[in-house]
Amino acid sequence: MSGHDSKYFSTTKKGEIPELKEELNSQYKDKRKDAVKKVIAAMTVGKDVSSLFTDVVNCMQTENLELKKLVYLYLINYAKSQPDLAILAVNTFVKDSQDPNPLIRALAVRTMGCIRVDKITEYLCDPLQRCLKDDDPYVRKTAAICVAKLYDINAELVEDRGFLEALKDLISDNNPMVVANAVAALAEIQDSSTRPIFEITSHTLSKLLTALNECTEWGQVFILDSLSRYKAADAREAENIVERVTPRLQHANCAVVLSAVKIILLQMELITSTDVVRNLCKKMAPPLVTLLSAEPEIQYVALRNINLIVQKRPTILAHEIKVFFCKYNDPIYVKMEKLEIMIKLASDRNIDQVLLEFKEYATEVDVDFVRKAVRAIGRCAIKLERAAERCISVLLELIKIKVNYVVQEAIIVIKDIFRRYPNTYESIIATLCESLDTLDEPEAKASMIWIIGEYAERIDNADELLESFLETFPEEPALVQLQLLTATGKLFLEKPTEGPQQMIQAVLNNATVETDNPDLRDRAYIYWRLLSTDPEAAKDVVLAEKPVISDDSNQLDSSLLDDLLANISTLSSVYHKPPEAFVSRVKTAPRADDEEFADTAETGYSESPSQGVDGASPSSSAGTSSNVPVKQPAAPAAPAPMPDLLGDLMGMDNSIVPVDEPTAPSGPPLPVLLPSTTGQGLQISAQLVRRDGQIFYDISFDNGTQTVLDGFMIQFNKNTFGLAAGGALQVSPLQPGTSARTLLPMVAFQNLSPGAPSSLLQVAVKNNQQPVWYFNDKIPMHAFFGEDGKMERTSFLEAWKSLPDDNEFSKEFPSSVVSSIDATVEHLAASNVFFIAKRKNSNKDVLYMSAKIPRGIPFLIELTAAVGVPGVKCAVKTPNKEMVALFFEAMESLLK
Amino acid sequence: MISQFFVLSQRGDHIVFRDYRGEVPKGSAEIFFRKVKFWNDDEAEEAPPVFNVDGVNYIHVKVAGLFFVVTTMVNVSPSLLLELLQRIARVTKDYLGVLNEDSLRKNFILVYELLDEVIDFGYPQTTSTEVLKSYIFNEPIMVDAGRLPPLGPAAMFMQGTKRMPGTAVTKSVVATEPGGKKREEIFVDIIERISVTFSSSGYILTSEIDGTIQMKSYLTGNPEIRLALNEDLSIGRTASSSYDYRSSSGGGAVILDDCNFHESVHLDSFDIDRTLHLIPPDGEFAVMNYRITQEFKPPFRVTALIEEAGPSRAEVLLKIRADFSANVTANTIVVQMPVPSYTMRASFELEAGAVGQTTDFKEGSRRIEWNLKKIVGGSEHTLRAKLTFSQESHGNLTKEAGPVNMNFTIPMYNTSKLQVRYLQIAKKSKTYNPYRWVRYVTQANSYVARL
Repeated sequence: MSGHDSKYFSTTKKGEIPELKEELNSQYKDKRKDAVKKVIAAMTVGKDVSSLFTDVVNCMQTENLELKKLVYLYLINYAKSQPDLAILAVNTFVKDSQDPNPLIRALAVRTMGCIRVDKITEYLCDPLQRCLKDDDPYVRKTAAICVAKLYDINAELVEDRGFLEALKDLISDNNPMVVANAVAALAEIQDSSTRPIFEITSHTLSKLLTALNECTEWGQVFILDSLSRYKAADAREAENIVERVTPRLQHANCAVVLSAVKIILLQMELITSTDVVRNLCKKMAPPLVTLLSAEPEIQYVALRNINLIVQKRPTILAHEIKVFFCKYNDPIYVKMEKLEIMIKLASDRNIDQVLLEFKEYATEVDVDFVRKAVRAIGRCAIKLERAAERCISVLLELIKIKVNYVVQEAIIVIKDIFRRYPNTYESIIATLCESLDTLDEPEAKASMIWIIGEYAERIDNADELLESFLETFPEEPALVQLQLLTATGKLFLEKPTEGPQQMIQAVLNNATVETDNPDLRDRAYIYWRLLSTDPEAAKDVVLAEKPVISDDSNQLDSSLLDDLLANISTLSSVYHKPPEAFVSRVKTAPRADDEEFADTAETGYSESPSQGVDGASPSSSAGTSSNVPVKQPAAPAAPAPMPDLLGDLMGMDNSIVPVDEPTAPSGPPLPVLLPSTTGQGLQISAQLVRRDGQIFYDISFDNGTQTVLDGFMIQFNKNTFGLAAGGALQVSPLQPGTSARTLLPMVAFQNLSPGAPSSLLQVAVKNNQQPVWYFNDKIPMHAFFGEDGKMERTSFLEAWKSLPDDNEFSKEFPSSVVSSIDATVEHLAASNVFFIAKRKNSNKDVLYMSAKIPRGIPFLIELTAAVGVPGVKCAVKTPNKEMVALFFEAMESLLK
Repeated sequence: MISQFFVLSQRGDHIVFRDYRGEVPKGSAEIFFRKVKFWNDDEAEEAPPVFNVDGVNYIHVKVAGLFFVVTTMVNVSPSLLLELLQRIARVTKDYLGVLNEDSLRKNFILVYELLDEVIDFGYPQTTSTEVLKSYIFNEPIMVDAGRLPPLGPAAMFMQGTKRMPGTAVTKSVVATEPGGKKREEIFVDIIERISVTFSSSGYILTSEIDGTIQMKSYLTGNPEIRLALNEDLSIGRTASSSYDYRSSSGGGAVILDDCNFHESVHLDSFDIDRTLHLIPPDGEFAVMNYRITQEFKPPFRVTALIEEAGPSRAEVLLKIRADFSANVTANTIVVQMPVPSYTMRASFELEAGAVGQTTDFKEGSRRIEWNLKKIVGGSEHTLRAKLTFSQESHGNLTKEAGPVNMNFTIPMYNTSKLQVRYLQIAKKSKTYNPYRWVRYVTQANSYVARL
């Protein structure tokens, strides 16, 4: 071949397409090849060359592999838009799949699998069957991946033709590449189904461990990641697995190392010998540190993972803090992560070294980094009581440099230090006050004002200091205004003299009359009322003792941490979010596989695994694709609180939320939350529902006004479950007298409200024509019951025993009636409360069930009732006592 | 798994784009580019290599000024994707000789052919140039490498010294030479990147060596190779020495904290005689990576002083001393020092008879820069700078200036004393005597002196 490929990009004087057409039909091979290259070149720059389809396909029958590959590349791109013509290629494909050359056989199956056209797919099955048993490993490994492709297009076909079994057979293949691809394909298929398809037994385990030593680095990652789902039976088996996996820590590929670390960490949970655990920790440290010598991008991933690992097992890297010191040339995203880990590893022993580093960072150039370094010093002070004084002296040193943003950041953290160690370090207030005039960031100002107010009695000129802020009170941001209000209040209570009285008068006046911020106004009114009626009570309220804070600002809660640790070396461990929070792929519906319950379950769910046809256009509506799975509803005997499953499935093509379907007029009427009398004619009814593993806000609007309403928007206040809208509210303009109903996808754990759990959900809805409407809803906890809440009988018993007795609660539901055990079981299963066992106790039936809410919080349930007699006793055991009240609320509503 | 792979130029043009799954909405490359370009609306900020926009996960690395990107919709291993991107860049470079926008565009058909073998349905298959050779049929079209700096650590051999065959590192592994016959040769590069932090009093706070033994083989027939390292090499600091290893060192033995190996390396006799056996696959790869925190002698001593010289003036004195033997020469030395933000002007005074030295005051990033073409071992160089401020200083000059950062390359010098004792190639015949290049180089990674 001569010349440059780029010459194919040059255009000609004649019409391009006709000229190419001519060349494609040339009698000379070389000319045809050149022409195809030109076509591909045009294709890659986005020109439409689909009109040449027939001519290009004609070049397909060639012995020349180079040319064949080019034609295939073209076919993959255009077959979708020309499905009728694509069929022309089928014969050649089928012929190629039997070619003596293994490369051509593999190429044919690989390409057919990429063409998502039904007619081609039909013809794929036979060649695929042959290729899965081909003599050549290159063909087999290509065929293995092709099964996953086919499953994505048509899952039913894969199951019917027995490809899953063939794939499982390949796990025993003698070629490690084939094993690795088979594992990858099975893992993917398993991911899109909740039925157990790929379960690792002790037999497959040993095969995989053997293949691990021989396959490519990428294959090793596939295998290790599948192994991480295996639960070892006992400590011995766990040790065994770890022993086989440990050599992977020496691999030059960081992905292999991290996947191995994941398995070792998981299996360590089962290992009881402290010696073994200590030894493993020692072995893991050097490879983890070595990850920090890789490219910065990999370092970033490693650091995010190490951040999780040190929270769980701080000993692993306790002596390695130096390796997390920032390098001069680290990218900013690496530096930020290193700081975070340094804080986590800081201890009384190394704090001097750490402070020296932080001090150095605090004088660097990058503003964000400097701020974070200053904050880090404060966090160390809060974390390490014995080092607090040293930290403060470093902060004071930094304040003296008088770099504005350093001073402000320092004041913010010093406020936290004061909260942590009350009445200990006030001597430095004088120094802080020197910088008063330079503060221009709201948070720093607010912090300084808080400090002045808190120590008003000990600062001689506190009134003067506060007064200097009061001049600009109306222009300050809300954060500062609130602090000013409280600080002036404190000042007045501490020094009830004339000056402070005038100040508080002025502030209260301003805050009640001239502001439109409801928070500020409310607080001002409360103070006012308190001060005018009962100054002693005001003292108790305003000067109340505050709880001591601790440094948990970046600490994850333990169940989330465990969840993330099980996801080490995945995106989830980089984002520090559970996979559900960012992966939108939906699994096929769960199948009840409990034997006692199998009969009813079988009729409840149809066989067809749910997977949309069209991966390319996920937002296309379901009605147009032919292979949309039709799932039968679980036929609830009692009227279920959920609308029927069929209706909502139609809107759920390929897991994407139906944003383009504004209405979903199905299901029973929703509870009215905003009556039309309150909403000036607009009535809003809504309810939280769970469908296919996702939570939606089923909301309906009735326009009883005389005008068209549009521009609907919705917002949720902070709540116990951190529920928030997962997308925009899709409501088309609403004509007078009409109504619209939509499913708003919700995300959980976004913006958690602190305090005791509550089912209160505060909602605000606005539109372009009316004022904002606020209303309250209740969060039914059963919307959070996960599809994964089913427990095995043995693990239920173990869990029950392992929980202390004071974690058990019970409650009577006097008005609930169980009319038939089966119907109740089925009804509860539809809401993800899973039946485990039952027994008779005199005339009563006792049912044992389990449910689970996100972050792995299980509920172990015992229901006692006599059939047909009102009154159900519900007992529950759960590690999370706070949630019990909400749980009973949910059960009572489910049993109504 | 991987949904799409693409390569974008610095301006955001598509150079290569391949969709493996058709599940990511259109326009992902544009979304990616906009996000990276305007991360946080602040140019000082840099986008992290992994982020999520509207449910699509973008994972990228920057190689040779190009963005190599993959997208995915599922919760996969990001380190796998990052490694893969680096490897794709390396394989492409093996094939094309040079990796840049021009060579990728000229060879786009070959690149697509490669991508189809490297990734199938989003799953990485193989990234071994050796294995790929049997499935790839397009021949690379060479671009003129002359004006283009080559990629990777081997690039440093191109500068200064004449001992290296200049074209070798930009030669395609698969293409036949214009002369017809391939030259039999193998390159083994011991590359050490060192990080040192000096305290203001000149005491070493942290020091670390990140080393790589890199190999690039152009040998036909893939003969077996034995690579012997220092016999007294030991691996792993003992627990007791983790804090006071400084005092225990000095015996001369090289102690590695940790190391890892390429999968082609057999370690059967490594524990006995520190010899690595391997059949090198074609293409460039790291035989071994290692990490050392054992004390070593830093090649340069750096001292920096800043002093007030009048109400709004200061004087800076920078001094570097080359602590290595006179037959070694360091090149492309850059010394940088941030100065107080209110610095208006800087005037420099080089030592008498200075050759090949330049100075600069970068106003935008408010730092002074001192470039030296080369430094011969044993020599010492100083620079004086006078700073003029727009205001009076706060009397905290040492906090507002510095730290001093230094960049350099020292060919034929290795800091750790890790040596390749011999490189043996299994002989095919008596006349078979390929060229062997064993090259050492030390580079600054983060070489910092605090004020």
